[in-house]
Amino acid sequence: MSDGGMRFVEEYRDPALGRALAGEILAAVEPGRHYKLMEVCGGHTHSIYKYGVDDLLPQNVELVHGPGCPVCVIPMGRVDDGIAIAREPGVLFTCFGDMMRVPGADGSLLDAKAEGADVRMVYSPLDALRIARENPDREVVFFAIGFETTAPSTALTLKRAKAEGIGNFSVMCNHVLIVPPLRALLESPDLRLDGFVGPGHVSTVVGARPFDFIPADYGKPIVIAGFEPLDILHAIRMLLAQLADGRCEVENQYTRVVPWEGNPRALEVMAEVFALRPHFEWRGLGFISQSALRLSDDYADLDAEQRFPVPGVRVADPKACQCGEVLKGVIKPYECKVFGTACTPERPIGTCMVSSEGACAAYYNYGRFAREREVV
Amino acid sequence: MATNGRSAACGPHQGCITCGDEGLVMRVTAVGEDGLGACAGPDGARETVDLALVAPVGPGDSVLVHAGVALVRLDSREAA
Repeated sequence: MSDGGMRFVEEYRDPALGRALAGEILAAVEPGRHYKLMEVCGGHTHSIYKYGVDDLLPQNVELVHGPGCPVCVIPMGRVDDGIAIAREPGVLFTCFGDMMRVPGADGSLLDAKAEGADVRMVYSPLDALRIARENPDREVVFFAIGFETTAPSTALTLKRAKAEGIGNFSVMCNHVLIVPPLRALLESPDLRLDGFVGPGHVSTVVGARPFDFIPADYGKPIVIAGFEPLDILHAIRMLLAQLADGRCEVENQYTRVVPWEGNPRALEVMAEVFALRPHFEWRGLGFISQSALRLSDDYADLDAEQRFPVPGVRVADPKACQCGEVLKGVIKPYECKVFGTACTPERPIGTCMVSSEGACAAYYNYGRFAREREVV
Repeated sequence: MATNGRSAACGPHQGCITCGDEGLVMRVTAVGEDGLGACAGPDGARETVDLALVAPVGPGDSVLVHAGVALVRLDSREAA
């Protein structure tokens, strides 16, 4: 049992198996047909470039990067709102590490920290609640981001805070949902996709059923996939098999982790603690209705947006930044005017360059400055 | 301990599991009161994890952990 974790990982990075899968993929593609597949999740984007998965694909199989990086989709105005709360007297502001570097209209949370605001990185909302317990004389705010993978953690933490009566803790909720942006992308006229590599860990919570609309309404296949390189190759092979057979279904490649029905208990907790926002702004995608969560009325007293004044000003993205087109998969990161020159991971202009799961950062960090792949 | 064995900063060359909506397979080492338990990662990193969404689990079970919460209990035949 002691090597269990390692075997669990290494089996899915075996180069020989990878080459075998690549051979099967090559055999499955129709010559002359171009396949455009979107990997929804930023974690997939990261794995694809870290392990060179795309180098194993035939040239007519194109991977486009989706909106599933929770940091990348946060609009500048929300960052500014967070900074405004962080600057309130007595506030101790907590957030995940990547979020600290996301630029708002006038600097990032990291800049606010340098200017004297007490901003601290945490690994989970539970850490933020612990900080609140340890600092009863401070107002501890957690800046919550993430899709349905992360929302249960925030929900459980809020339940704990309420049960323990911790009065100096609150949450600025920016949790978003995965289905509405996918629907928005499928409605987008400038993007013609053949199928989706579906999000692995979001699906541990929501299950496979929420993706039924993709084949039902749009006639496209989706395969929920794990994050190891062989998982992604396997999912691509499954997508190509569906396309070759003229099928479109929701399939689950990641059965060792993702139950078809998700985690009903997690969904229950989320339903208790959160309510749908009528609409929410996504970077690059604009306002999408019913695409994000706020705290439910029962938890309103733990809502940082009700406890503190927030400017709520909508801020347009910098003109030079093309994160929106990258997030929609319309352009590749290296096609952006500022990629690798004015915009780098060290000094990002757009969010896609901030998070390691962002498509631009993944391209930049793994040397994908250019251009087209070699023919396999 | 605060970093749970991960990168202390989510730098451009470090994958940040929390932000990237990815989970980590961990093994339950102890189950405490109040739904919390101790888990160990593949590199030996230890973390306090909320087990409420996967209970009942016991020492030796593998779980997928994200942002301090176990989201799914993995089939021991597959994960071991």
